[in-house]
Amino acid sequence: MAMMATAGSAAARNTAAQRRTMNSLMTGLLWAAALSMIGLLLFFVGYILYLGAPVISWHFLTSPPSEVAAGGGIGPEIYNSFYILFLTLLFTTPIATAGGIYLQEYARPGLFTSLVQFCAESLSTIPSIVMGLFGMLVFVDLFHWSFSAIGGALTLTILNLPALMRVTQEALQTVPRTYREGSMALGATKWQTIRRVVLPSAIAPLTTGIVLIAGRIFGETAALIFTAGTSVSVGHSAYDLGLFHQAETLSVHLWYTHSEAVVPDVTKIGNGSALVLLVMVLVFNISARLLGRALSKRLTGK
Amino acid sequence: MGSGRAHAQERIASTALFLASVFVIVAMGAIIIYLAFMGLQLFFKDHVSPLVFLFSPNFSPDDGHPGSLVFILGSVFITAFAICVGGPFGVAVGIFLSQLAPKRLATFMKPTIEILVGIPSVVYGWLGLTLLAPFIREHLGSQTGFGLLTAGIVLSIMILPTVISLAEDALRAVPHSLEEGSMALGATQWQTIWSVMLPAARSGLTVAVILGIARAIGEALAVQMVIGNSAILPKGLLSPTAALTTEIVTDMGSAQEGTVLYHSLFTMAFLLLLIAMALILAVRFALRRNA
Amino acid sequence: MTVIMQAPEVAPRLESDAEIKLCIDDLSVYYGSFQAIKHASLKVPENCVMALIGPSGCGKSTFIRALNRMHDLAPDVRVEGTVTLDGEDIYAKDVDPVTIRHRIGMVFQRPNPFPKSIFENAVYGPRIHGVRSRKRLMEIAERSLRHAALWDEVKDRLDKSALDLSGGQQQRLCIARVLAVEPEVILMDEPASALDPIATSKIEDLIGELKKEYTVVIVTHSMQQAARISDYTAFFLMGELVEIGNTRDIFFKPRDKRTEDYITGRYG
Repeated sequence: MAMMATAGSAAARNTAAQRRTMNSLMTGLLWAAALSMIGLLLFFVGYILYLGAPVISWHFLTSPPSEVAAGGGIGPEIYNSFYILFLTLLFTTPIATAGGIYLQEYARPGLFTSLVQFCAESLSTIPSIVMGLFGMLVFVDLFHWSFSAIGGALTLTILNLPALMRVTQEALQTVPRTYREGSMALGATKWQTIRRVVLPSAIAPLTTGIVLIAGRIFGETAALIFTAGTSVSVGHSAYDLGLFHQAETLSVHLWYTHSEAVVPDVTKIGNGSALVLLVMVLVFNISARLLGRALSKRLTGK
Repeated sequence: MGSGRAHAQERIASTALFLASVFVIVAMGAIIIYLAFMGLQLFFKDHVSPLVFLFSPNFSPDDGHPGSLVFILGSVFITAFAICVGGPFGVAVGIFLSQLAPKRLATFMKPTIEILVGIPSVVYGWLGLTLLAPFIREHLGSQTGFGLLTAGIVLSIMILPTVISLAEDALRAVPHSLEEGSMALGATQWQTIWSVMLPAARSGLTVAVILGIARAIGEALAVQMVIGNSAILPKGLLSPTAALTTEIVTDMGSAQEGTVLYHSLFTMAFLLLLIAMALILAVRFALRRNA
Repeated sequence: MTVIMQAPEVAPRLESDAEIKLCIDDLSVYYGSFQAIKHASLKVPENCVMALIGPSGCGKSTFIRALNRMHDLAPDVRVEGTVTLDGEDIYAKDVDPVTIRHRIGMVFQRPNPFPKSIFENAVYGPRIHGVRSRKRLMEIAERSLRHAALWDEVKDRLDKSALDLSGGQQQRLCIARVLAVEPEVILMDEPASALDPIATSKIEDLIGELKKEYTVVIVTHSMQQAARISDYTAFFLMGELVEIGNTRDIFFKPRDKRTEDYITGRYG
């Protein structure tokens, strides 16, 4: 011990102290970054709640929007958001899960598989406004559907396809290889194995993923402005199932009232809409988690 | 018998699944072809020089001179701003989640990040509009509060979830033995992170940044609500200007089909598409270099 | 009596009056460029238990998985040589691996019941092979669970999750699941290695019962187990089938020096 405490180790002790200080400083900064992110989110939620709460009323949530006067509501917009979400999931879920299953279970490495993967990745980075223009070219101009719920939903179908495929692949990856082997060793075909063992075992993460993506579809805006339109009722009831009717969603409404509309109570409508959108995000997130937990509980019997 | 039916089902199922994945190629192909066709009309039909489109700051499509330098610079600048601010912040949170976070805090933060992803871009825009812009107007002496700085800050926050989760994944993929090896040599936690973990996760972190760029450059509405939307070269951080995406949003609604304006907006969309694909190639390159 | 085999300098031909169920000829298995099984040849007579032994990494699991084409599931595995079941080449071009696996069932190292009820696990095979009637499925479930010596333990909770069973029960359920398909051959890849001694002895008793109706090929890392349950034993070393013969002969008078070294514990 005494031998160690020579003059030379004073410098070493010094740098050791420096290293400790540096360590505390940097880990402290990392903590600060993480906590400030949580703080940021809590602040956003609180602020939007503070702005929006006074606006929310039964009238606001259920009335049609107003063109020029104050006092318009967002009823049809909420309806349209759900309607387009429903249509989008109707189209995108089968295609995306099928594509995801193919890539995960069937595809062998090769040119075709890399091409699909490259296209899926590219598709997932295309800005949604660009996707909106593509949707406009195809559904509004080429098919002459004008602005329509179905045009918007189909645009969102393509937009969300890669994310949902990814979710499917990741969900399938959670299924142990031994389940597949067990089934195949009983003389099941690949498809029987997927349908009866693999998919049921992956149902919890799959459902969680789909509901989370549903939350994003609900709030999608840029891809809808030029495909589903910015009006709720041109010559039809605001609450119908018309596939070919204009269908302004809530998020589009928030953008549109701010940037184009002439109503005097823009701020009030914006605050209320922002709150409803935020609450829906929370609802989708929480239900995704609860649903996933309930399903995996039922699956494992625990 | 049963076996024959199972075989028929197998063939039908595998074909259907195959077709679904072909759909992805078809969709991507259609998008490229269609947008290229519309976007290149500006050069082939309207005979606008690509140099004018790319490098002229004078956007007068009605005079056949749709110089889009302002929008390109606007996009580049706010993206760079978002990466410089949001990038390090996001990586820091990613490091925290993968290395430092107590388990319970980490399980609490996961949904927090999911919610940040889920918040619609218009709500971010609305927050920028009602919270950030007035603040900048009052405290930094900007006239409107709208401009590069406001848009940059909004984007910095919007790219956070992307950067955080990818950075976290990248760091988690580093073998535990590297970390232990460094700690066993007497390195502090920060030294281990700085000189072992971060270099080992370099390609994954590069991917996080690249996809953060992709997220930022493609964002339209949140930026459009706070950038000021004027087609002039910005003189400073507080000047209002415009970006590629915001210009499309602002003018597409009123653009007449077949006009130079209409075509130039599609050229911008095509340019954004090319950027997105270039970024994906960059991601592949970054990952390959690692392997 | 029986059996087996070939590669003349390795072992003498043992004559058998039993029918040859599986005949493996010059079988090689490659993982990429690595040859995991080197030209193995072997005959398995009907209604017997054959044990495959050898140190870890010797290729015995790789070998057994080639016998019902499980390697087809992995993209970079290549199988050469022939395997015939009742004289029919299972690797022939027009043969469907699914039909083969229907006839040659497999039980794995770790119990792998599906996350379904005990009943649904037991009748999984019959269901996918087209049995619909609830009554018929119930009969099959009871018969195969009884056969696997599990019925008494689970008959009151058939609709409970199979994942709630103990490891040993899960493995017997996996055996019941294979029996329900009524295969001709049952392959077992170290079926007791993840189980405690009591569960292991139940599985071993069960295997003794099974050979009355089935042909069983079992991989085991335990020589004692091979000695207890098998009629014939094949010894693998580094991908090579070193020796094969009556279990008694392999253990008491091995012909190959390497077998002897292994039996006497020199390979750990």
